[in-house]
Amino acid sequence: MQYAHSNLNSAPNPPVSNLFDGSGGPLPFPASVIPLANGLTVIHQEIPATPVVVVDVWIRAGARYEPLAWAGMAHFLEHMVFKGTEKILPGMFDAAIESRGGLTNAATSHDYAHFYMTIAADDLDHALPYLADLLLQAAIPDDEFIRERQVVVEEIHQSWDDPDAVGFQTLSEMLYGEHPYGRSVLGTPEILQARSPEEMRQFHRTYYQPGNMRVVIAGGVSRERVVDLVQKTFHTFPQPDACPQAASASLRQLENYTQQTLALPRLEHGRLMMAWLGPGMGELQAACGLDILATVLAEGRLSRLVRELREDRQWVDDIASSFSVQEDCSLFMLSSWLEPTYIKEVEQVICDRIASLATIPITEIELERAQRVLCNDYAFSMETPGQLAGLYGYYGTLATPELSLAYPHYVQDYSPQELLPLAQQYLSPNHCATLALIPQ
Amino acid sequence: MTVSTAPKQNSITTHLGNGLKVIAIENPAADIVSARVFLPVGQGNETPENAGIFSLLTSLLTRGTAHRSSLEIAEAVEYVGASLGADSASDYSLVSVKTVSADFEQIFTLATEILREPSFPKNEIELERKLTIQGLRSMQEQPFSVAYKYFREGMYGQHPYGFSSMGTEETVMSIQQEHLLEAHQKHFRPDNMVVVIVGRIAPEKAVALVDKLLGDWSTPDYPAPVANLPAVDSHAYRIVTPQETNQAFIIIGYLAACVKHPDFATLKLLSTHLGNGLSSRLFVELREKQGLAYDVSAFYPTRLGPSQFVSYIGTAPENVSVALDGLQSELRRLCEIPLTENELQVAKNKMLGQYALGKQTNGQIAQLFGWYEILGLGTEFDTTFQADVAAVTIDQAQDAAKRCFVDSYISILGPATAVEALR
Repeated sequence: MQYAHSNLNSAPNPPVSNLFDGSGGPLPFPASVIPLANGLTVIHQEIPATPVVVVDVWIRAGARYEPLAWAGMAHFLEHMVFKGTEKILPGMFDAAIESRGGLTNAATSHDYAHFYMTIAADDLDHALPYLADLLLQAAIPDDEFIRERQVVVEEIHQSWDDPDAVGFQTLSEMLYGEHPYGRSVLGTPEILQARSPEEMRQFHRTYYQPGNMRVVIAGGVSRERVVDLVQKTFHTFPQPDACPQAASASLRQLENYTQQTLALPRLEHGRLMMAWLGPGMGELQAACGLDILATVLAEGRLSRLVRELREDRQWVDDIASSFSVQEDCSLFMLSSWLEPTYIKEVEQVICDRIASLATIPITEIELERAQRVLCNDYAFSMETPGQLAGLYGYYGTLATPELSLAYPHYVQDYSPQELLPLAQQYLSPNHCATLALIPQ
Repeated sequence: MTVSTAPKQNSITTHLGNGLKVIAIENPAADIVSARVFLPVGQGNETPENAGIFSLLTSLLTRGTAHRSSLEIAEAVEYVGASLGADSASDYSLVSVKTVSADFEQIFTLATEILREPSFPKNEIELERKLTIQGLRSMQEQPFSVAYKYFREGMYGQHPYGFSSMGTEETVMSIQQEHLLEAHQKHFRPDNMVVVIVGRIAPEKAVALVDKLLGDWSTPDYPAPVANLPAVDSHAYRIVTPQETNQAFIIIGYLAACVKHPDFATLKLLSTHLGNGLSSRLFVELREKQGLAYDVSAFYPTRLGPSQFVSYIGTAPENVSVALDGLQSELRRLCEIPLTENELQVAKNKMLGQYALGKQTNGQIAQLFGWYEILGLGTEFDTTFQADVAAVTIDQAQDAAKRCFVDSYISILGPATAVEALR
């Protein structure tokens, strides 16, 4: 789950996927990956007919790098980056971009923070120096730190009023244990109160370094101009520092079925959330197999659980699967909205259907449907320069930009038999964390 | 930014013999075709007794036709990985299609079948009814939605815009199969329909396809029913809702000009100035300078009938009074103090730049053009609206604010200890 700087125009959630021509053959990577001498990586794709340029800067500076006592620092820093530098006053950057009709925003997750802007191609020379200065020279003024902390605390309060966010956070704690993925990206008001601007500057100097950064630029601009501009603007990085590290914690699948029930005020209908850990970005091929199984189970009216539980038995008002890949693991989740009286029955049905995936191969027809759905979603997610830049940045930060092209091929290559061992390894009911939300 | 991201490729605009309007725009950039079929029927055609009928009706279009069951429709769509959906809003209903180009003809054919011959099976009605009621209940879980519901009800009363587009639990329970069949029969007809197809398909081919599939649909011999959008009869209103939330919400708004009113472009510009983006007035004054909120903004929907100009803020319960004063004084300021040349120019650049960025995908282009057509503005509104925005003067902006920001409607929701004093 990622948190946007401002929800006025919230960031696209990077899909696990695009650039697929439907033919199944491998395509040459259409973007250039340009390593600069200082360790910074530039990823560029020119889209000739487009009058727009998107700059999306991805930094390996997400919440996973925070020690427990600094939880929320990465996200709070993402807010403070907009508060300027010695040269740029707070608000100047936003005004500079928006007054020319552009858009800017940022978002933070566990693995990354990213900052992006969409501008007219002619404005790139004007806008890029601002963004680079903000990212490299963030001043984090004391008074702004104190004021912006109130904003972040309001963001936290808002998430506490959202039952789905509360549920997701509780489930994450059950599933990830001590690993930083189990902590909220937003942190807590108490922790943020205890932090200082100097500690944030230390975090900034430690992680906002060229080796951690990918500058993705897509749209109506040539490679030469991009390289020249980035070299000039992403030039003077902060003196490297070493702030307290996150305690190392490995991820392990749950060994026993883990169940919790949470009673929440104002809840109008129950939720049943069931989640499993899957392989991370390093094993994308296996992750793609689980994405297929998630689709077979609960994506679309023809999927097994939607058909059985919503359409036929009508035990749930709705059921959906979600599958997302992070650096260390992926998350396979089934969410049901239902009357609390059906929670036990539905839980049992889902466990049974999950268990059968490990022994009985899905049909060829189910596989083909899932492959078409996933590959077309992937193709549909690359229509705009912003979507492209997000995709390259996401893969480029968690793995390599080129890997963004592998997704549809991995999905297409599976046979029903090959999915059995994946279900056995990852989707046993024993490895499942289950959270029920019921009205208080 | 004065760029246009709309494609300047081949396009055709034409009417079929039965009055149906077709707009086909070629955009070969991606292997995608998007289509939108618009009908001028939505909340404006509902009454307090059948509120939500068009939302229920459109949700049932994909759930059965004279020739196919719900499952067969899902099979046709999901096996090719396309999307086919139907929806209804304040002033229109629509069917949307998105496919890779090779599958377009097949899925668009299905789209015309669900438009022309939906069967509204009884078991599917019960299922969708349940889903709708679930949707209505989930809105009760979100503090902003609850505060907004009371705001909207106080403003519009029994006017169609006073209801959620899904209706109420009572109206949704009362709608029966014969009501749906009758509403479909009356309102779904070719002479008031607009089809827009954008993507990797030759315009001639797109038009021929629409003609083949919809050209033989005959128009009934009575005129199409028109929306019932009376003037709104309500006055300044304040409602306070105690609810033990972590955050309080304040919504302040006004009844505002419809899309055909001369103030429309000016109010759009004022809403951009106040609430759009990180450099907007509310964001800077209430979030950046005072740290009062994470979420603070304004919006002004495009409506055929009486619209609304709305500002809102989510804030800590102890800051409710300060935030209320802050929002009110920003709205008052627009009436009392003229915008500077620079503020006006910045708002124009922002508005026009973002407008251009909203036309990047085939789906966005089809949506915008179809919507303008169905509102009776024509696709030329795409140009005139931008020209109108660019022409707004400082005086016009202030005058429009003075005309609009008169009777304020306020909804406040939060912990009793924080909000009771504001009744």
